[in-house]
Amino acid sequence: MGRLRSDKVAIVCAAIVVIFILIAVFAPLLTRLFGVEVRAGDPSTDTDIFNFPVIGPPDHGFTWKAPLGLAPDTGDDNLAEWLYGARTSLMIASISTVFATLIGITIGLVAGFSRGWLDRVISFVIDVFLSLPFLLAALAVAPIIVLRFSDRPGLLKWATFFSLIFILIITGWMQLARLIRGEVLSLREREFIQAARVMGVPTRQILFKELLPNMVAPIVVSFSLTLPAIVTAEAGLSYLGIGVIGQPSWGQTVLKAVPYFDTYPLYLYAPVLGIFVLVVALNLLGDAIRDAFDPKTRR
Amino acid sequence: MTESEVAQQSAEQPTPGIVPAANRTVSSGRRAILSVTDLKKYFPVKSSGLIRRTVGYVQAVDGVSFEVAEGSALGLVGESGCGKSTTGRLITRLYDPTSGSMMFEGKDLAKLSAKAMTPMRKEIQMIFQDPYSSLNPRHTVGTIVGTPLRVHKVVPEKQVLTRVRELLEVVGLNPEHYNRYPNEFSGGQRQRIGIARALALQPKLLVADEPVSALDVSIQAQVVNLLRDVQNEFNIAFLFIAHDLAVVRHFCPEIAVMYLGKIVEIGERESVYNHAHHPYTQALLSASPDVKQAAIGGRRERIRLEGDVPSPINPPSGCRFRTRCWLAQDICAKQEPPLLQIGKTHKVACHFAAELGNHPAKPITAPLLGTDDQGNHAPGSSPVEFSTNPGYDETWFDLKTKTFGNR
Repeated sequence: MGRLRSDKVAIVCAAIVVIFILIAVFAPLLTRLFGVEVRAGDPSTDTDIFNFPVIGPPDHGFTWKAPLGLAPDTGDDNLAEWLYGARTSLMIASISTVFATLIGITIGLVAGFSRGWLDRVISFVIDVFLSLPFLLAALAVAPIIVLRFSDRPGLLKWATFFSLIFILIITGWMQLARLIRGEVLSLREREFIQAARVMGVPTRQILFKELLPNMVAPIVVSFSLTLPAIVTAEAGLSYLGIGVIGQPSWGQTVLKAVPYFDTYPLYLYAPVLGIFVLVVALNLLGDAIRDAFDPKTRR
Repeated sequence: MTESEVAQQSAEQPTPGIVPAANRTVSSGRRAILSVTDLKKYFPVKSSGLIRRTVGYVQAVDGVSFEVAEGSALGLVGESGCGKSTTGRLITRLYDPTSGSMMFEGKDLAKLSAKAMTPMRKEIQMIFQDPYSSLNPRHTVGTIVGTPLRVHKVVPEKQVLTRVRELLEVVGLNPEHYNRYPNEFSGGQRQRIGIARALALQPKLLVADEPVSALDVSIQAQVVNLLRDVQNEFNIAFLFIAHDLAVVRHFCPEIAVMYLGKIVEIGERESVYNHAHHPYTQALLSASPDVKQAAIGGRRERIRLEGDVPSPINPPSGCRFRTRCWLAQDICAKQEPPLLQIGKTHKVACHFAAELGNHPAKPITAPLLGTDDQGNHAPGSSPVEFSTNPGYDETWFDLKTKTFGNR
């Protein structure tokens, strides 16, 4: 921890991440502070005959009424969408990462500690999951879910939200499971584990009290590197149309903004910059955490 | 089979030499706390590939019998890979034995299920070789020493800390250091923590697997003396596994020498060290430095063993030491030498057992095995029944008169 604190890059990145988290948590408060609202656009009054917003960029100057402008076609406020998009992104990323990590740890521990057939079965399952083309599966699943809940928009919002999280969890746990399995295989032969067995410590306690504390470093590192990967994946999937529907998200905004890039670049820059800064900060922070845990990899 | 059953069975068949287990005594006249009979551990060797067939067995421990007396210490010596650590791990049931029995307080440890073993774990504890890997680096000393107390609920949760401090004081550490992590201690101090952990359950038997091999020589003495102190204080029996003959001599009244999974010589300290009868023991002893000889500047006659230890997957026929033994004759390849009691508290497994320099030209075991001197079956003679007693019998084979007696 002390080593992490002396790392300037880590401190800056941690600050950026904290700011993003605060934005996500206080999104309703911030929107009220700026006097903007989500999904408040009215195409008939907020857009002109070319479907471009009547106030703010790209045709008019900066206005505090809409600091990031309004969206073309709908007239929704970009800042409000961006703030709530940060919320969606971080929520999906953190929920998926937490569950993927938990699943990875449990399966890795069980596989590593059980010799013989169970280990072989679990390793096989991990291999199978790693070889599945998840993008294709997700592309196939998305229309089914949209069709299934299309008549109930309230449900559709959550159905797409949770199916996205589900897809991200399913794709995210294998790497960590393999890592943990390898760590357990090497730690299991250490004498303190044998000492615990001689003392008659129950297996569950050996796994979670003796082994797990020794794997905090790889778990934290994996967590901090999975988080940005999932933020990008979420945005990417949303861009492909598999993302959340019915609530703001950066990926959705990117999808909508791409056709307007030549006429209204700010519309696209806002979400892209959000994703870029958050992912870079998380990645650098993850690297710093790994370096702090393992002095041997210091640059 | 329980202890009483064993006793009953031997009482029914009054074979000379087999004393009922309950009355049996070891050299020091104390009751045997652990009696191991014909213990075997074969590790399967699997072929590579998808279908992993068992292509052979590593005969790590192959028919070992010995007894440990209450409050005493048996030293198990031998070179690396001879199965001494495996024996220790079998007794603590880190490995499941292939066959054989380990009687401890009337229960056969070899046949207990993992669940039935749990209460027995309180009685048998282990000290490990490497103090740097035997303590969990993420736990404080208090947690490490307190874990056995918590698992077996020896003392109520509130008193765990008090007990931990007592234990730390017993092993000569500052009791206020319970809050520190193992990496803040030196090797010797870590080994003391390991000893405190083993003592926490107040075991009757401690398996010490090379407890001082990883330590500096100056620290070795301290730790060995600490072990001796706790042995006297708590009346703990030790199975002391080591390869350092001097340490074993200092600590153990009884010594067993192992070679390639078998005990080749076992006996009381003085008879093994001063009157070794097995060529392997003699070679081992000649290899260990002697202060007296170094002081007078004399050259020691060293026995040089040629070659390597044979593979335990495919051990030599007959006597396992014959490939490196300078006494080996035909009989050694054909007949396995029985572990023959040749003194009140001395057993040896060699066809040519004698003190160094006096080895007989003819195998002493041939008449007992019913063979001629080359180890071929001799017509008209039948083999003698050998005692399977893991301890010592009242009568033994006298090497001078070549008869059984108890002079």
